[in-house]
Amino acid sequence: MPRENPTALLDQEQGRGSAPVAVHRPVGDPLDRTGKILLAVSMLIGLVSHGWNIFKYPLYLSDEGIYMEQAWSVLREGKLAPYTYFYDHAPFGWMVIAGWVALIPGQFNSLGFPVNIGRVLMVLVHVACVFLMFEIVRRYSRSVPAAFLATFFFNVSPLAVYFQRMVLLDNLMVFWVLLGLYILARKDGRVVTAMGAGLAFGLALVTKENALFLLPGFGYLLHRSIVEQGNRRFSASFWWFAVGSPVALYMLYAEIKNELLPAGLDFNLASPPADHVSLLYTIWWQLHRTASGGQGTMFNTLLHQSWLFKDKYLLLAGTAATVGTLALSLNERRREVPMLGTALLAIGYGFYLTRSVLLDFYVAPLVPLLTLNIGLLYGRITRYAKPAAVALLTACLCAMPLSYPHGYLVAWDFTGTKLLLADQYRLPQTNMQNLQVKWIREHVPPNSRLIIDDDIWVALREGHPNFPYAQSHFKAASDPDIRDKFFHRDWHNVDYVVMSNKMRDALERNNEGWILEAIDQHGEEVWRIDRGDVHLSVIKINNSSE
Amino acid sequence: MEQIVLAAIALVSVVLTVQAGHTLYLMIYTWDQPEAEAKARVPDERAAPQLSFTAIVPARHEEEVIQQTIARVAHTDYPARLVQIIVVCSADDLGTIERAAATISRLRSAGRTNVELVVFDDQPINKPHGLNAALARSDGDVITIFDAEDEIHPEIFSIVNTVMVTERVHVVQAGVQLMNYESNWYSTFNVLEYFFWFRSRLYYQARAGAIPLGGNTVFFSRELLERIGGWDETCLTEDAEIGLRVCVMGERVRVLYDHRYVTKEETPPTLRHFIKQRTRWSQGFMQTLKKGTWKELPTRKQRLLAWYTLMFPYAQALLGIYLPVAVLTAFVLRVPASIALLSWLPVLLLAAHFVTAVIGLYEFTEAHELRATPRTVVTLAVGWMPYQMVLAYAAMRALKRQLSGVGDWEKTAHVGAHRSAQEEEVTSRAA
Repeated sequence: MPRENPTALLDQEQGRGSAPVAVHRPVGDPLDRTGKILLAVSMLIGLVSHGWNIFKYPLYLSDEGIYMEQAWSVLREGKLAPYTYFYDHAPFGWMVIAGWVALIPGQFNSLGFPVNIGRVLMVLVHVACVFLMFEIVRRYSRSVPAAFLATFFFNVSPLAVYFQRMVLLDNLMVFWVLLGLYILARKDGRVVTAMGAGLAFGLALVTKENALFLLPGFGYLLHRSIVEQGNRRFSASFWWFAVGSPVALYMLYAEIKNELLPAGLDFNLASPPADHVSLLYTIWWQLHRTASGGQGTMFNTLLHQSWLFKDKYLLLAGTAATVGTLALSLNERRREVPMLGTALLAIGYGFYLTRSVLLDFYVAPLVPLLTLNIGLLYGRITRYAKPAAVALLTACLCAMPLSYPHGYLVAWDFTGTKLLLADQYRLPQTNMQNLQVKWIREHVPPNSRLIIDDDIWVALREGHPNFPYAQSHFKAASDPDIRDKFFHRDWHNVDYVVMSNKMRDALERNNEGWILEAIDQHGEEVWRIDRGDVHLSVIKINNSSE
Repeated sequence: MEQIVLAAIALVSVVLTVQAGHTLYLMIYTWDQPEAEAKARVPDERAAPQLSFTAIVPARHEEEVIQQTIARVAHTDYPARLVQIIVVCSADDLGTIERAAATISRLRSAGRTNVELVVFDDQPINKPHGLNAALARSDGDVITIFDAEDEIHPEIFSIVNTVMVTERVHVVQAGVQLMNYESNWYSTFNVLEYFFWFRSRLYYQARAGAIPLGGNTVFFSRELLERIGGWDETCLTEDAEIGLRVCVMGERVRVLYDHRYVTKEETPPTLRHFIKQRTRWSQGFMQTLKKGTWKELPTRKQRLLAWYTLMFPYAQALLGIYLPVAVLTAFVLRVPASIALLSWLPVLLLAAHFVTAVIGLYEFTEAHELRATPRTVVTLAVGWMPYQMVLAYAAMRALKRQLSGVGDWEKTAHVGAHRSAQEEEVTSRAA
């Protein structure tokens, strides 16, 4: 057989190298030295601003206590909650907290009051969020000063510091959302990248369901990042699949427990299901919550009475930035994809806040979304400016809020004559709760039947002595297992009521009538502390003499 | 006892989840890795014809399709003098011999002298024996195999010549694709299996250095083939086995998948034939695993991947046993919520596989200018579990044959379902 060159194949060197194929694979420009320093500084600022005085301020919130007690239940009882779990929230958040506590020697008691160990996790989560936000803004805006500015406000805003120190599902949800955005911002064209972003968003959903309102922004950013890729079908499908998987497992859990649907498919809000709890019923109930029902507060009330008071500058600047990014991105859609995405994120969450019945801390996720928009808009505005001018402007913008006594770093005292460190870095509010627990341990017999607020629940269960019959007032009022089987809805079966700050308001708002009867008609205040507008007390119920 | 059952359920669930996750990743590997996809593509520019080829066409009872196949191989875009064609049959296959001889005679009368028929009359009567018989008569620089039903692309020799010369590789596995995705309920699954295997997984295996090669459109340098002693005549999947031997020698295998140049094939015409084919493949993998060539691979990662690939039929057989048990326990056994949740993870992965298959269907049809209809998607959904059970049955059947020492070759019939009438006419005229 004729051969043109018999040795052409076999005489060539035994090269193992591949043929050169040029494939563009952007994964974001690596940080230069200055960028690394600024990132480290941002994370350090976050560590200090959130960590300083964290065990003393703010007051331990009931909701912090609820998540800690549910994490306690995961670790100590292998259950999702110490009481009947009625699907008020998806459980991934406190499972993460439980995992964190399990890693720490001494666990709940390792740092004094049990909520403290949760707060340390929140600081670490915040520092991680700073890293993620810095990189998201930098990759999307290609501006390190913009990334620094965004994280600066994220770090020092009193609104951020106040709520992000708390052990809240919202803070964990923000971490997963930012992680998802960070992965998306890699833009490396891989299917697993899209899948990772989707999984992060799915975990955000099973940490706090209100992440659902971020779906339009998230979905848009995903769509634009894959629309021109050859693997877009796989990327999009696996993103959705990864988002849906944790949610599906959550629903499956409910189904396995026969708690997905209410008995007889009865969604009547006037008569909650009596035989078993139901995930879909709870969702239905949450969608129909009203402020008048004592289940929360309206947006306007919280905005004016709490959020604007804490940091009106961030809220105004962030809102303006969101409007700005939206306007710019709609004008130049192709060039400003990330800005439209982050605008949609903030608008989506803002829509949720304005349309729902809220608790004070629901604003926490809005803060990073606003600072994202501030960062991207700043990057866009300064895109063509000289680097030195941008650096100077950034430094001025950061220095301004710190130097003015409006609560970022310093504030006037109540006389208006003396500058003090801002409350969040100075006030020792939680000392009162520590004193309350200390008094209970010293004066109340451990086998007493106590009605308490959730903030001290784990402290009384884990401390020495522990109080196995201390029950949450929410459960004493609404959980049939506690109200009817433990207390028999009878004040004779209560020994003490431990009042947290504003617990009286909650008892009245929630119509916890039989507990109020115990306090008002048969109670005797045996311990009390008042500091500013914080009032704590312990009320002994005189049930033996009747 | 209950604790043991629960632990077993948890363990099996975790193992199945990991396995399904890994398999899923291999299915989408080239889509996930843009570099991999780019490398699997056929080069745009062709090198001048430099290498000579010997195309072996092993045939057994292929009277229906052999003439068209010979004609296709004979009429490629590569210089005819550089393409030797050897049709190889066993002496008892008179029908195929007659048809092949007629076509060869016509080609010779037209001046094409490098086409011949090799007939062997010794045992065993199987494909690897035929290949070795043909190898002894070959004189091309590169040896390749085309099955009798293959519809090869006219540029295939030119492409492989380019790749072998410019990239200095001695083994090239080009793409093979089943085409008749709507012939019957299982053909869609079968087509997609090929699609994911050649389009994605083989690239991963080649890159990892543990690749079970395909049975056709695979190209070896003749020197390499002679050095490793040809094909193993005792193995039912001689292609997979020789792939591992090539890897043991440290040879890099180049995988090419470009939908424009794939070799087109058909799914087995009946479920019975499909099960026979799948049984043969499963048993062949079992034989190759037992033979132990994979143990000679240089790195632990290669050995692990080869072992994992070859032992898959065992897992599939176990799955066939596990699935009914799992369904039964779902109704009978009350397990803690955490265990129940864990046992659902493989189901979640199964859903991911289904999603992947549907996307694969659209990718496949788009690439070949076909159309995926909602009906096909419904077929995928409805036929998913039955198809898994058929695969599990074939694996169990293979296991039974393997354990009882039965190792004969169960032939797969071909009817040319992947060839359009127009193509048949063209190739007939050419013949």
